Amino acid sequence: MKTKKVTRNIGYYIILALFSLMVLIPVLWMVSTAFKPEVETFTIPPRWIPENPTLDSFRNIRTAYPFFTQLKNSFIVVVGSTIITVIFACFSGYGVTRFKFKGRKQFMSFLLVTQMFPSIMVLVPFYTILNKLNLINTYWGLIVVYVSMSIAFATWMITSFFKSIPISLDEAAIIDGCTRFQVFWKIVLPLTIPGLVSICIYCFINGWNEYMFASTFVTTEEMKTITVGIAELSGQYKILWNDMMAASLVASVPLVVLFVFLQKYFISGMTAGAVKN
Amino acid sequence: MDIEKGESMRLFKYRTTNVNRMGYSFILPNLIVMLILITYPVFRGLYISLFNTNLINKWKFVGFNNYTDVLFNSEFYSSVWITLKFTFFVVLGHFIIGFILSHILNKNIKGITLFRAILIMPWLIPESVLAMVFKWLFNPVYGLVNHLLMKLSIISEPLSWLGDGKYAFFIAVMVCIWKGFPMIMMMILAGLQSIPKTLYEAGQIDGASNWQKFIYITIPSIKHILATALILDTVWWFKHYTIVWVLTQGGPGSATSLISIDIYKTNFEYFKFGKGSATAILVFFICFAIGKIYERVFKANED
Repeated sequence: MKTKKVTRNIGYYIILALFSLMVLIPVLWMVSTAFKPEVETFTIPPRWIPENPTLDSFRNIRTAYPFFTQLKNSFIVVVGSTIITVIFACFSGYGVTRFKFKGRKQFMSFLLVTQMFPSIMVLVPFYTILNKLNLINTYWGLIVVYVSMSIAFATWMITSFFKSIPISLDEAAIIDGCTRFQVFWKIVLPLTIPGLVSICIYCFINGWNEYMFASTFVTTEEMKTITVGIAELSGQYKILWNDMMAASLVASVPLVVLFVFLQKYFISGMTAGAVKN
Repeated sequence: MDIEKGESMRLFKYRTTNVNRMGYSFILPNLIVMLILITYPVFRGLYISLFNTNLINKWKFVGFNNYTDVLFNSEFYSSVWITLKFTFFVVLGHFIIGFILSHILNKNIKGITLFRAILIMPWLIPESVLAMVFKWLFNPVYGLVNHLLMKLSIISEPLSWLGDGKYAFFIAVMVCIWKGFPMIMMMILAGLQSIPKTLYEAGQIDGASNWQKFIYITIPSIKHILATALILDTVWWFKHYTIVWVLTQGGPGSATSLISIDIYKTNFEYFKFGKGSATAILVFFICFAIGKIYERVFKANED
């Protein structure tokens, strides 16, 4: 019995190691490149360990490009849109699971249907709207677009989470004299923290990685977001791989940090949210 | 839905009049956002699809001509076909890898947190950056892939991976599987963790084999999450744009010309915004149909 278990575990480790390797090869290549001087990025045969490791590219992205402004832009836009999305999603999650009103089910299927529109389809209409409202090249413009991008799935996730919290809790609180809003704010919401964390991560990653909208709705240099900035490092004739990889690494740090600290919540959040449909 | 039944009804009874209005006020902010930011742009797109327009000074009403143009053109069907093939392989890859890995990650073995952290990484890397990295890895002259394969003597001379239609499609699929499997893995893992252990113990007592436990306990318990994950994943990748655009721009030839790439080119290279919008509307209907088909299939298996 015991030896069978051991061999099975070894099998699991082999599979995990294989897939991890598949994931890690491109990632390690990014890391290794970030520390290479420019000439070394094109050497044949390619080298895993840089011959003359250097921090030049990290210095470059600070001095030669408006990289930190872009990092700041991304941060403002993504945090703003995440906060709005999460607040609105929570309200509707509570509303949909606690009240029986007409159109409740339609609202939920509407959420799923919105996922079926190609985002390329709304690109042009969005541009005209933002243009009319003078929101091109502004934080608010992108915040609004990113809210629209994440809100449907975020609402769907948080709703299934609210469902797992018994309504008898609400009842008891109301009998004790709480208002509806107090029940929502003080009793139900604290219980959904893992769910909240997972949708925050979802919105954050979604926004942080977005490229198409950001590259279309922002035209001035000082308003660009980080993904656009990185993509633009690939010039028409020459790609500065080392600078680009250094920039990508720095841009990934917020996500990795966010995820490492919150992954426990993220998984339990998805677990509880996913159970019932 | 479970809230309709039982205890909750008591609460509704003594507050019925307010309850409806209260429900609306909770979803109102969300609804307004969605109406303004999703519904309006969609209808705007619908409107544009009825015109021959450059969006500035030319607005010629053409009715459904854009639609017939698209529908009577074989190019549309060939990109739908390529997109379907692409989506099929990508989603299949996500679910196979997702199933295997979530199954293992659900086990209580040492070091699982580390593997979980590694395996989630593709989800954290921006699509545009990721596509650039892979483009570089597959570079015919100084790419790592050719170098490795030649070192292992699997190939004898460098291949132009993205310059050859056969390989380019395959690589686009591989990269998109690489990018998207963590999401499915996490969703299935979440489902697996919600299955009560007692169910498996009961199965054990009844003498079920591992395979039987998988078919009769695991699958039915996570069916709902599987259905949603499948619908969303299919629809998301059917509409996919960024990675393939950066990798190949739809080429070589039309080997990787996904429908979204087609729409992008129609809009922003040929400036036929009406035709582009019409194609986008058709894509919506295809996605909608895919969703409905899945729903049917899953409902049919309900009992």
